[in-house]
Amino acid sequence: MPELDPLILARIQFAFTVSFHIIFPTISIGLALFLAIVEGLWLKTGNLVYRQIYRFWLNIFAMSFGIGVVTGVVMSFEFGLTFAKFAQLAGPVIGPLIGYEALTAFFLEAGFLGIMLFGETRVGPKLHFFATCMVALGSTISAAWIMSANSWMQTPDGVAWDHGRLIVTDWWKVVGNPSWPVRLPHMLLAAYLTAAFFVSGVSSWYLLRGREIAFARRTLSLGMGASCIVIAAQVFVGDHVGSTMVRYQPAKLQAAEGWWDIRTPSPTPYLWVIVPDQAGQRNRFQMGIPYFGSIWLTRSLTGTIGGLRNTPVDQQPNVLLVFYSFKIMLALGMTMFTLAVISLWLRWHGRLYSARWFLRVLVVMTPAGVVATLGGWYTAEIGRQPFVITGMMRTADAVSPVPAATLLSTLIALACVYTVFILAFLIFTLRLIRRGPAGLPAHALPSGSLKRGLRPEIAGVQPYLAGEE
Amino acid sequence: MDLPLLSALFLWFALTMYVLLDGFDLGVGALLLAQRDQRVRDRMVDAIAPTWDGNETWLIMAALTLLAGFPRAYGILIPAFYIPVVLMLLSLGLRGVSFEFRHNSVTSRRRWDIVFAGGSLVAALAQGLVVGGLLHGVDTDLDSFGGSPLDTFRPFCLLTGLAVVAGYATLGVGWLHLKGDDATRAFARRHQRWLPLLFLGLAIITGLIAASMQPNLTASWRNHRIALSLCLLAFTACAPGIAWSAGRDDADDRIGFGLALAMMLSGMLALGLSFFPNVVPFRLTLWQAASGASTHEFLLIGALVTTPVVLTYSAFAYRVFRGRTPAEGWY
Repeated sequence: MPELDPLILARIQFAFTVSFHIIFPTISIGLALFLAIVEGLWLKTGNLVYRQIYRFWLNIFAMSFGIGVVTGVVMSFEFGLTFAKFAQLAGPVIGPLIGYEALTAFFLEAGFLGIMLFGETRVGPKLHFFATCMVALGSTISAAWIMSANSWMQTPDGVAWDHGRLIVTDWWKVVGNPSWPVRLPHMLLAAYLTAAFFVSGVSSWYLLRGREIAFARRTLSLGMGASCIVIAAQVFVGDHVGSTMVRYQPAKLQAAEGWWDIRTPSPTPYLWVIVPDQAGQRNRFQMGIPYFGSIWLTRSLTGTIGGLRNTPVDQQPNVLLVFYSFKIMLALGMTMFTLAVISLWLRWHGRLYSARWFLRVLVVMTPAGVVATLGGWYTAEIGRQPFVITGMMRTADAVSPVPAATLLSTLIALACVYTVFILAFLIFTLRLIRRGPAGLPAHALPSGSLKRGLRPEIAGVQPYLAGEE
Repeated sequence: MDLPLLSALFLWFALTMYVLLDGFDLGVGALLLAQRDQRVRDRMVDAIAPTWDGNETWLIMAALTLLAGFPRAYGILIPAFYIPVVLMLLSLGLRGVSFEFRHNSVTSRRRWDIVFAGGSLVAALAQGLVVGGLLHGVDTDLDSFGGSPLDTFRPFCLLTGLAVVAGYATLGVGWLHLKGDDATRAFARRHQRWLPLLFLGLAIITGLIAASMQPNLTASWRNHRIALSLCLLAFTACAPGIAWSAGRDDADDRIGFGLALAMMLSGMLALGLSFFPNVVPFRLTLWQAASGASTHEFLLIGALVTTPVVLTYSAFAYRVFRGRTPAEGWY
């Protein structure tokens, strides 16, 4: 058996649990806002189709929220399980941030999600709408805390060293560290895009099958309308994320663009395919679009940029992973942008609901937001390597003193259990989609459990009580 | 003001809330294994359905308080209890999911019940392993855990694991006695006659073995002998009280569960006093493990503002679902 490296295993375990986790908050942050908008429209117009849209997506929202909670509990222990030395150094700084995030999120889960999910028959429509808005607001606030904690790891500020420990000198600078103001909107917009393409993809599927026409048209209209606004904002915000990176984490952007040279050739092509040779500090093969590197990165026809050889070798991230994570995110973002523009054109010509090729593309793009978000996170997190806290602590020094065999066995156990979660989520979501909004019960059933979205009455399975006695 | 001490009190408070609240629903979950009648099992699950979600909040609160307030301890204790922590997290996750899926169909409900009950049992057992490891004392090597992850499977820790399962089951039968229909209550009363006594017995044996094994523990007991004697007195008196009330038809429903809560609370007080002022027993005091004052200030402000809100909601949720569980469930 080859020698197992605890560092690699710890990184895989943390990456696995956090990647799995982030999928669900991303979906639920976006869907929460979508639900608030739809319920607002319903209250304003009284059009029953909005109510149908709300009821349908509420169930999928509840499921992703539930899995987000279960996998989130794991994360609060993962810092100690895999990176105890990091927890010991950074606990005083990020611990309270995540503490605040958990308190806010759980307060809202406990207080308003219950009303949102089962309170329809117990409170008035306005209070119910208020509850939906509070859940949407709460998920945004909770994202703000966790992005603050992660951004602090990217661009630490507001702390001082004191006998090998970190002491917070200014909480405002910790919370509002340099990359947080751009990374928070970037993540929120990513969540909104994820939800917009998710709902658009599902409604396109209905339109292609000629099912649930009124429901699907309105959902598609809302989804693609939102995409147009959000992607326009995302292009702008994404650009600012890039310039913040140039300033504070140049190595990450150098790796993401795939250049090694101290100065790139003039004009600089924009690279899309590379075969990097990390040891040789060069690309074995590279292919790009001429001029576009200069235009995009320097806003001129002939400008040049600095490559990764500007960063000492022992401070460079893995180029292969960072480059392709970034390019996947970028390519999906550009595809979404193009589709948003096409949707405007089709809408203008009254063909948004009938252009079958476009609907087919949207069906394929249903999970695009999730994939792009993961790509972005991989860029951010692998791009920060070899540091866990930029410039302050190396990942290799952060790992828990846990034997490799133990890490490996728990990684396998986690993978098995999480497979059950994802399969259950997919089966229930697909079942809901196949059944369609018309298959929903006429009104919300009064209940107590917060994770009711997973329950059979809603998921469309015959409730067992009906068959009893 | 002694900020680390306040944070430590908040940590104890969060842990105690967790043990009292999630304790009874983990106990009910584990008790499913002792009930063959599917209909009674359904009633048992219905009795915890509306409120169990919120109870786990306190566990996260405790973990993050430890991370923020006592990072050195967090970085030692979580790796020290690596296997029970992972076991607990996986069990709690599976339990949460099977809770929702058990209603899917009549055929697979039995299977999900086993996952649910098994998850509850293993989670309780894993928490007991941690208690045993803490009583035994944690090996440290500077700021790291110095032992082996398998230390947690000492026979002594298995004993504390059983004690915690018995304690949670005592809470669980108390809850069922309070909330159940007639068949469930009869089941609960049958087990109330012996479970608290088993819990008492296991706890006392645990204490005796721990005292013979860990001199720091006996030293700490001598320092707090009056308070600990009171805890022990309350703990010991509650167990026969529960058994007695279960045998009487005219006893108030609330007595059994109330005494179980009192029993658990005095147990948590005794544990807290035994470890005080250590946060990594018996190597690091809470002041040695504490983060800087600015962290405690920030953390405590948040805790003081949000805890009343969380408590208010929890009380409200319990109030909404007060009284006996309806025969058709809450749904």
